[in-house]
Order: sequence, then structure tokens, then C-alpha cells
Amino acid sequence: MTKSEPVRSLLFQSLSSRPNTLFSRPICHSCCRKLAGRSALYARGGGISFPTRTLQTQALLEEVVPFRKQLKDEAKRKRAALSGNGAKKKSTDKELISNWELTVGIELHAELNTAKKLFSSAATSISDEPNSHVALFDAAFPGSQPHFQKETLLPALRAAIALNCKIQRRSTFDRKHYFYQDQPAGYQITQYYEPFAKDGHITLYTHDGIDPADAPSITIPIKQIQMEQDTAKTLYQPPSTYLLDFNRVSHPLIEIISMPAIHHPATAAAYVRKIQSILKSVDAATAGMEVGGLRADVNVSIRRRKDQHGEDERAGHSYSGFKGLGQRTEIKNLSSLRAVSDAIAIERSRQIAVLESGGTIEGETRGFTLGSSETRKLRSKEGEIDYRYMPDPDIAPVVIGEDLVQHLRDTLPALPDDVMDSLVKDGVSMKDAKTLLSLEDGDRLDYYYDVVHELTIIFEIDGKKPPKKMGRIVANWVIHELGALLTTTESNFTPDLVPASSLALILEPLLHKQITNDIARFLFSRNLHWAHSREPIPSVPEIIDAEGLRLQSLSEAVYEQIAKPLLDENPKMVKAIKEKGQTGKIMWFVGQMMRGSDEGKQGKLEAKRAEEVVRRLIGVEGGKER
Amino acid sequence: MSRTSRLHVTFTQCRSSSGLSQEKLGALLSKPTWSVRSLLPPSNDSTNTTPQESSAPTTPEITSKQLHHLLRLSALPAPQDEAEEARMLQTLSSQLHFVRSIQSIDTTGVEPLRSLRDESERGDKERTLGMAEMQDALDQEEIVGNHHKRIRRRPRRIQDEGIKNAEDCDVLGSAKRKVGRFFVVEGAPREE
Repeated sequence: MTKSEPVRSLLFQSLSSRPNTLFSRPICHSCCRKLAGRSALYARGGGISFPTRTLQTQALLEEVVPFRKQLKDEAKRKRAALSGNGAKKKSTDKELISNWELTVGIELHAELNTAKKLFSSAATSISDEPNSHVALFDAAFPGSQPHFQKETLLPALRAAIALNCKIQRRSTFDRKHYFYQDQPAGYQITQYYEPFAKDGHITLYTHDGIDPADAPSITIPIKQIQMEQDTAKTLYQPPSTYLLDFNRVSHPLIEIISMPAIHHPATAAAYVRKIQSILKSVDAATAGMEVGGLRADVNVSIRRRKDQHGEDERAGHSYSGFKGLGQRTEIKNLSSLRAVSDAIAIERSRQIAVLESGGTIEGETRGFTLGSSETRKLRSKEGEIDYRYMPDPDIAPVVIGEDLVQHLRDTLPALPDDVMDSLVKDGVSMKDAKTLLSLEDGDRLDYYYDVVHELTIIFEIDGKKPPKKMGRIVANWVIHELGALLTTTESNFTPDLVPASSLALILEPLLHKQITNDIARFLFSRNLHWAHSREPIPSVPEIIDAEGLRLQSLSEAVYEQIAKPLLDENPKMVKAIKEKGQTGKIMWFVGQMMRGSDEGKQGKLEAKRAEEVVRRLIGVEGGKER
Repeated sequence: MSRTSRLHVTFTQCRSSSGLSQEKLGALLSKPTWSVRSLLPPSNDSTNTTPQESSAPTTPEITSKQLHHLLRLSALPAPQDEAEEARMLQTLSSQLHFVRSIQSIDTTGVEPLRSLRDESERGDKERTLGMAEMQDALDQEEIVGNHHKRIRRRPRRIQDEGIKNAEDCDVLGSAKRKVGRFFVVEGAPREE
């Protein structure tokens, strides 16, 4: 696939009769189906994924597989089929795993979005000049005192409310003692005895990416959320030197501790991903895992499944009411979703191997780097740390007013699940809903709502009801059509690029089926051209009437007239469709009709009707609702 | 002025309600009736024996292994020779005796004091963070979006006095070793 496509003018493309070069490349049927009916506006690679610039988690939400990846997967499958041993190993692995039940608890540390630090008025920062935002207390200068910065409570409380926790009226801070170069005071200030929030929960659904065994939903209880200090950043210089930057010391963190209620690596990753998105939506923690704004420590243990071998006498550990657990190991400092699921799977295999061969699991702390095939021991049992927790006598208890909690609850921004539910009700697909939420931090979604709002007004004025599928079509245009426009013009999204009212005026006749998709696209791109050229923009209805773009619904006879010769000219393809069920070839006919015929070139044909006619003439059952 | 006569003066200034004469009061208060030494294990050379003996429980032996573990936890240097270790163990033993004497008091129903603050209901009320106290912080936020409303913290004011004052210290000034704007420390060698 060449990336060096000559940039074609949009106007030229929509009106030209040149053959669509997209179809001359070998592409798979599913791509063909989806691209059929589109004009050569989209002569960019065969992949369907639309580049969205500011997406952080796009790669993980992607369900549609690009063509290149499909080819790679095919090759992989062929190689796996050839190597019989590989296949055998996988099946024994699966057997072993089915004998053992995995239990995972996750401790997440999230950097709060605040202006100042937790116990000093120094500013928070991500990558400023080293040691430029350090107060005396942050550097643990003797005699310096902590000053609790109450603004840090706002994001902390919002996070706790969003995760359904009970806010404790009174909470206190404690010292957790250990020596390390990133901790100048020799202790970390945390909330060990009385955290500010307890007993929350989060529900994960299939669309969050949980393991199929947990479908359709699983609720993970959250034990508590506590506020604590972050440590300094260290740069390691081999063999034993460390460069220290104290900007991050005392940056407020919340630690979210889950109950050991997760049983699959995929669900663990889904849990982390969902919490990240919830924290972002309430503006509590906006730095993602990739910049170190969110870190995970996972606790992994296994036990024999009860129904197979009865109770496991070694599984005598318990945690917060969850009984019968095996000895756990802790894997610290996982900084990506992939690392979380990989580390858990690899640790599970290691523990199974140890227990199956008669050994015992040591309660130790381990580390994991993405890409390695095993976890490694960080601290042995002898090197175990005794934190000697003690209440910090320098810090007053935090007492939170009920009126504040109520206000934050009332003004909490909409959570991702609620937004997606309402979008799906409007007809938007789950995937598009997720995409809308994440593009430009929700600005694209706001634009979507603007367009829907404008359309609703237009319909009201006309005295008509908005069609049921309006949400789906608007979302499609706001994400994909606008996205393509942004790419070809190399611009970033702003709501003024194509004002919501203009898009609504274009979509209204489309929804009334008065113009075809192609015409709508033409108008859409024209709109941008006019905006750049600063000509007075004629109104959309004027253009439609002036250029005779309004679709006169062509009769069935016209469609048949176009279709029949094509079918006659390609008897082999017709045979393949009828007898071998190669229904993908139907879309080839549709494509031929849309770009080969005069009516098609003028944009007067509707792809769906063309497909129906072809199917009817060949004698094949109706296809999927598009 | 000697201490007793100072006390004498003070008490002549207060009203005495116990009915005792000033001389008798002076005599009563001049002799200590309790010393913290009563909480320590009885020493071999009995110089300042007090009338009251402690009734603290006997302390168990501390092993050398425990001592070394505690020293490691506290990042304190290990004893250099046997004699020093013996002295450390002896001191630690006395300290533990003292602690156990304190612990022998019945404190059921008494909330532990965490710090020297007003920990009463009234104190809690005074330090409650409600809407009034947090209004400043809430004003630092804005709402963006017409329909999909989101909260954003306004970008930090560059000339915030509070921040400037806090950061106005030469952190690297007394660093033994530094490279550019970084502190430099030697740590444990890592195996990568």
C-alpha cells in the first residue's frame, strides 16, 4: 500500500468519472463492503481506521481490524497450524489454567489534577526544570512543617464519588516509614488508619473489554481510597548513581485499593482502563499511564478450583473478608495496560508451575518490564519492610463538610457509562460512542450534541419528527466524514471549522432522503472550501435547488435498467454469488453501478436501493441492515 | 532566690484553701514523691532510690538478631564491637521496661491523643471544610462545553504569591553533590 497518494481536489473527485483506484487494489471483502458506495474521496490506504489525532486510547478501543493486520494474522495462523508442538503446548497451558483459579487485587496510584502540592504551596508540574518547584518541606529540611492544601480535596472527593465510595467525615494522615533515595523525609505521608473514602465499587461491562468469562458484567468492590504523597523522580545512571528531581515530591496522589475480586488478566486491564477514563471524566486525574500519571501494583494469587479437587489446604489466606485465598505476590510499578495483563498472566503461569511441582509460593515483591517473559524478584522475605505506621502528629485531621460532598455530587460531570447509554439510545453504535467521548477530550461530543440540537430545531420548524436513526448518522458524520476532512486538510478539530448549523443544514435533506450521501459529502467539503476562501457562503438549500442536486427518487425500472446489463456481462460472478454464496461480490456490482452509470456519476443512485435490486435480480436473500 | 523561697512567695500570693500553714505547705512540696525512675528497671548501684517501686512486668530478652533488624530498619549503624552491642541491648532493655510500665495502665474507652490539638467536637467543627471554606478553590475551576459539560481547572496563575513564596528557597544550595539542576546520590548497585 503506497502512502504517497497524490492529493486530489475534493470537488474534482466527486464529479470525475475516473476509475476508483481504491477498487483496483486487492482488498478483502469486508473492506469492500464497507467502502462500497463511497466515492474516491477516500483514496487513502486500505485500512479503515481513521486517524484521530488526540486519541490516547484509540489503539485499545479499535475493534475494526486494518487490512495489513488481517494479513499478518492470517500468516500467523498458518504458521501456528504448521508447528504442531506450539498448538499442543497451548492446550496443556489451557488445561493447567482451568485447574487453578486466579485472584487479583489492584492498587492504583493516580496523580491528582491540582495546582499545588499536598502539604506545601509549591506548584505541581509534569516536566518542568528539575528542582524548580520544591518547598522546604518537600525537601525535608529540618524544622519545616507540613501545610495541608485544602484545594487538593476537590479532585480527591470527585474521584471517590464517581467510584461510589462512602466519604468519611473525618480522616487522618499517617507516616509510613522506609528509607529510599526518592523519599527525603524517610517516611511517606499516607492515610493508613483512617482513609477519606471507603466501600466503593465499579461495574465493568463487555464493551469495557472484560474477559468473556466475566460477561455480561462484573462489579469490583473498592476497599478504600486514600490520599498520599508522591515521591521524587529518579534518573538511574549505572552502576549505582541516581539523579534526583524533587518536583514531584508531595504531589497529591490517591491510592485506589480494590478487593481481590478480579479473576482474569483481561478484566484487570479493563478495570484499570475504566478507572482511568472515569478519573479523567471528572477532571480528578488527567495525566495518563503513559506519562506516569497512573501506576498500578497488582497482587496475584492462585488456588485450586473447588469443584475439581476439593478445598486447598494451602489456600488459607484472607483479605478484607475474602477468604480461602492462596499466598499472594505483589508486582509493583506497572505503567501500561498491556503490562498489567501480561504481568498477571505470566505470574499466574509461574505460580502454577511452582505449585504443580510441589513448591510453595513466597510472599514476595516482584517487578515486571513489558516485553519480558517473566516477573523478577525485587525483595526477598528477609528484606521485607516494616513500615511502622504511626499517626502524623504534625497534621490535623481532615473534616469534610456534608454540604461540600452534596455539592460535588450534584455537579459531578457525566460519567462515561451514562453518556454512552444515552448515545446508544439515540442510535449511535457503541464503538462510535466511545470514540466521540475520547476525541479532543469530549469537544467532539459537544459538537455532536450541537448538531443534533440544530437538527431538532429544523425539524420542529418543519413540523416533522426527527428520524430514529438520526443519532447514528450524525455520529458517523461527526467522527468519520469530519475526520477524513481534517486529515485531508491537515487541520485540527475546532467547532468553527464546519459550524454545527451548517452541518445540520446539510444533514437535514440527507435524513429526508432528498439528497444522496455523495451529494452531502460534496456539500460538506464545499463548505470548508468556502470557509477558507471567505466568499459569502450560499445557504445549503439554495445550492441544492440551484444545482439540481435534489434526489428525484429514481424508479425501480431505472435501477434494473442499469443492473441487468452488468449481470449479463458477468455470468461467472453471478454464479459465484448464487451457488457459492460469495455475497461480497454483490457489492462489486453495486460499485459498478454507482460509478459506471451516468446516473451513478451524477450521484443520483442510492447504494442501498442498488444493492436491493441486484439481490432481487440474482435471487439472493436480503443483506444486513446498513 | 532559692527555689523554696520562690514557691513560698507564690503561695503567699494565692489563697490557701487547704488549711495548712505556709511552712507546712513548703515542707510538703519540697520533697519529690515520685520520680520517672520508678518506671525503669531497678539499677544495681542504688543511689537515688525512690520510696515507690514500680510494679512493671519483667521484660523479655532482646536477641542480638532483633537488635540488628531494628538498626537496619532505622538506618542506624551496627555496633562496632561486643561491648557496644551489650550497652545497646542494656539501654534498649531499660527503654522497653519503661514502655511496658506505661502500657500497663488501663486505657479502655480513652481515645488516643494523636497530636496537641483540640480534638473535641468543637475542634472538629472549627476545622470542617465545607462550601464556605472551599469556595476559593471552586472558583479556580470553569465549566466547558454547551451540552457535554466538563469541569476544568483554570490554568495556574503564573504570579501566584503563595506558590512563589513556597518555592523561593535555594534547594540545591547545600547539596553535597549535584549535576546541573539534579541532586546526586549513590545507591545500591542495580542488576539490569
